[in-house]
Order: sequence, then C-alpha cells, then structure tokens
Amino acid sequence: MVLSTDSRWEVVDRIARRTVAYGTYKRTLGDVLGELTVKPLTGIPVAVAALFAFWSIFCSFAGALVTDGFMVKLFDSHWLPWLQSVWPDPASWHYFVFVGDPLADNCFEAFGVLTSGLFVSIGVVLPAILIFYLMMTVLEDSGYLPRLAVLVDSVLHRIGLHGYAIVPMILGLGCNVPAVTATRILETRKQRFIMMTLLAIFIPCGAQLGVMLEVIPDMIGLVFLCLIGGFCLFGYILNKVIPGENPEILVDVPPYHWPIRENVVKKMWNRTKSFLKEAVPFVLFGVLLVNLLYLGGVIQALAAFFEPLFVTWFGVPKETVGPLIAGFLRKDLAIAQLSVIPMTAYQMFASVVLISIYFPCVATFVIMLREGWKELCAALAVLFVVVFVYGGLIHAIGILLGVA
Amino acid sequence: MADSTKKKITVLMVGNPNVGKSALFNRMTGANAMVSNYPGTTVDFTSGTLIEGRQEYEIIDVPGTYSLEPRDAAEEVAVRMIRDHPDAVVMIVFDATKIDRGLYIALEVMEQGMLCIVAVNMMDTAHDKKISVDTADLQKVLGVPVVATTATSGEGIRELAEQIRKAQVADLDKIIKRLNGEIPDKKSVGGCGGCGGC
Repeated sequence: MVLSTDSRWEVVDRIARRTVAYGTYKRTLGDVLGELTVKPLTGIPVAVAALFAFWSIFCSFAGALVTDGFMVKLFDSHWLPWLQSVWPDPASWHYFVFVGDPLADNCFEAFGVLTSGLFVSIGVVLPAILIFYLMMTVLEDSGYLPRLAVLVDSVLHRIGLHGYAIVPMILGLGCNVPAVTATRILETRKQRFIMMTLLAIFIPCGAQLGVMLEVIPDMIGLVFLCLIGGFCLFGYILNKVIPGENPEILVDVPPYHWPIRENVVKKMWNRTKSFLKEAVPFVLFGVLLVNLLYLGGVIQALAAFFEPLFVTWFGVPKETVGPLIAGFLRKDLAIAQLSVIPMTAYQMFASVVLISIYFPCVATFVIMLREGWKELCAALAVLFVVVFVYGGLIHAIGILLGVA
Repeated sequence: MADSTKKKITVLMVGNPNVGKSALFNRMTGANAMVSNYPGTTVDFTSGTLIEGRQEYEIIDVPGTYSLEPRDAAEEVAVRMIRDHPDAVVMIVFDATKIDRGLYIALEVMEQGMLCIVAVNMMDTAHDKKISVDTADLQKVLGVPVVATTATSGEGIRELAEQIRKAQVADLDKIIKRLNGEIPDKKSVGGCGGCGGC
C-alpha cells in the first residue's frame, strides 16, 4: 500500500499524538547563550572571535611551540648533522637524493628524502594538522557549524552557494579530499561544481598552512587576502556564467553538545593515522621524485622552457618549476621547496599564491574524478584560466605598486 | 562464532540526517564511521559486521535523508542503497525529539514492503527536553520492533542488536486500522510488546 504525501503526514500526526508527550521545558542558560550565537548582531562578533581564536591557537601551538620550539632544534642540530656525518660519499647521487645538500645547515635547504622529507611531514605538518583537527573536531561536535552556516548564508548566496557550503570550506582547510566528498550535501549540480572548483583552487589545506606558517610567517595574511579575494571574485563570475539553481538554505540546527571525549580522541586518531599512512609516504616520494628529476636534468629543461611565462607573465623565477612539480604530489612540500629558492619578498609571495591556486594535489584530483569526470574537466578548464588571469593580475598589481 | 550455515543478512540504517545513525553503527560494529554534530556528516555508505545470536549481519550506515525523494547527492546515495537491497532489513533510526519527521521516512520505507525495525535514538536529549516517547505503544501501532537507544552512552544497543532478527514487514492497512481503534490492542502476555515477532 502506498500513501500520498498528505495522508502519510496525517498518519504521522496521529501516531505522534498517541505516542509522544511533551512536558514543560524551562529554557536553560545554555539555550540563551546558544541563541546569541545565531542572531546576527551578537552572532557575527562571536563568529569572528571563534575563528580568530582558532587561528591564534593554530599559530602559537603548531608554529611557535612545537615546530620552532622543538622540531627545528631536533632536526637542524641533531638529525641533519648526524646524517651528514654518517652517510657515505657526499658527492654521490644517493647522498643527493636522501640527504641532499652536504653544506646545508637546516632541513629546509638540505632537500633530501630523509632530511627535508621527514622534517616537512613530521616536524612541520604533523603538529599543524594535529592542532587543526583538534579544533575542527570541537567545531564539528559542538554543533556550531550549522549555526555558522546560517550566519554566512547571505554572503555565500552572492557566489552561487548557500550557507551550508561553509561545511566543505572548513573541512577543506583541513584537507581538500573529504571536502570534495562533502559537497554532496549541496542540492544542485551548479552549487556542487562551484564549490568543488573554488575548493580545489582557493582553499589551502592544513598541511600547506602549516608550512606557510613556518616559511612565510609575515606574509601569510597577505596570501590569505589574495585567496579570499580570488575566491569571492571567481565565485561571483562562476555564479553569473553557470546555469542552474541555487536554492535557499534548509538546515536543521542541532542542539549544542559538549564534544564527547571518546569521540574526539577517536576522530583525532583516525585522521592522524590516515595522515601518517597516506600523506607522509607522498611527501617522501615527492622529494625522491623531484631529486631524481633534477639529477636527470628534467627540471632544468622544464625551467628553461617555461622561463618566458614564469618570468614575464607571473613575475617569479624560473626555478619555481621544481616546486610546481612537487606541488602536484603535495602542496606542503612545494611551499617548503620554494623557501630555498633565492628570490625577493614579492616573488616569494607571488609564487606561494601560484602554488596554492595551481593544480590540486593528486589526492584531491583523484577524489574529484570519482565525483564526476565532466565536472573535473570543467574545473580544470576554470583552473587554467584562473591561474593565468589571477597570476597575471597579481603581477600587474605588483608592478603598479612598484614591488615586482 | 557465527554459524556458517546461516546466510549473512544485510541491515540498512536509514533515517533523517543527524539522528545518530553513525554513532549507533559504530556501537554495533566497532567501526570508525565519522560522527559529528551537524547534519550531513555521512555522505557515503560504510559497512561493518555484527554477530549476534549465531547470526552474522552486514550493517550498512547510509547517509541521512528526509524522504525517499532525494534533495542532494548524499540523499541519492541513501535512496540507491534501499533500491539496491530489496531483501535487506531496514533499521529506521529516529531522533526521539523529532519523532514525526522520523515517522515520515519510516512510513515511506514501510510502504516498500521491506523488513523493518525502529531505533528511537537520542533518548537522553529527549529526557532533558522533557519529551517522553511511549516506545511500547509505538511498537504496537507500527507492528515492528521498536527499541529506545542512546548511542552516545550505549544504552539499548544490545537490545537493538537482539531485535534485528524480529524485524517485520509493516502493514500500512493495519497501522491505520489500529489508529482508528478497529483492531483491539492484544492483551500483552509476559512483557510482550505485541510486535508480532513470535
């Protein structure tokens, strides 16, 4: 027997009336405070404060405390000199691949699999993602995310999305891979396409943020500004160009809960485990591949080939080709590699932005392919246009300001 | 140990978003499905194994959906899972504070003629909000096993696992007749909820 929607609701009503009883419920202090986080007048300052707290904890824990305070000392004064002293034959190819530059005095510059590879993945990125995921879990489990979604709804409507797109965006700041799958909660193909494209181009992942914090701590704000600017600009354009609907947000706002410790620990463990199992080998493999390509002369040849484009159009040194190749495997590695290329502050800034917006890392690429090859191809087409146009635009602004 | 002669039974966990399906799923199977406090955490299905009373079950955690007419890609996954497993037992999970919305999708599933069992989850939140749900009466009306659970603390999980084998095909005609009082309530014997599983 199949009911119509109306008669189904009628049956629902009658069953509910018979089985559910409501007592008198007194509003608690928690409810009142909870309401303050959704009303625009109080909610927006709360949101700004929450995100600011998020960012400061991230910087002070990952950047200052663990990486600078402990990991840099461990890797630069103990691990690197020890490896340099015990690995045989500094002139050999295997020394170059695994230990790197025999004269380097820090693990960024050495660029061997066992020096920079381990330092970047364990010393810099691991603490960054640990603290990032801890805070993200609090956001997820407390019930704040759907409230944030309601708050940012009107802004996101201008770029063809609605408030709930904040969920893939925040997940994307951790890792773009689960974020791409999370776009499934958006209703239309247009929304999903815009979100996936913007994710792949403009949202840097936690690993990348961790390395940026270490390599360009002074410029990270400016880089962010550029990414947010691009996100809004190209979101606006995509919204105008792509046909399709962008329906209103319909979201169930759940009650606030204290995160359950057991669940927080479990999530942290699972995310860290998958980082160690999937990301670390990729970083190590990335260093290996780049070093082998250097030895084979491939990177030098590519650098010469792309020199006109890089130098004239983007205003960055031709050596950036190496990091761009590494960037296809892992963006964190690419930024680490940038840090050892001699260049001006402006060039550094421009190349970090370029690495961020250029091709998504291979893991993101694969997951986007799974969500639909047509969308992936279209997203890549948008990406090429964006990299070319936005990269040129930043260079032009740099020239006008006299810094490029 | 599971009896190798018994066939593995598939159980689909279906219900509205953010009612605790993944938390229940983790409790029953010991798996690691991602659990958060926002609707739409699960966007793909995960499966795990439960062995109860010499019977092996394959439990599948399905993305939450408000109805069987999908609104987005995650809900499409849920609807496809139901369509692809016509012989599965459907475990419909309710949020005890939002029974009516759970009932809507429950009726939709029941109309498909599938074996059903209901878990009324988040009983702790309902208690805090002074909402009481008469699960015994709900069982009588629906004619399928109804179990009260709190996934976060693990309450009711064992009973839920035991009741899977008693899952019933609900008869919409009878549900309406019972609501109209046309079928008198059976006198319950020895704590029987009248699910008809015996």
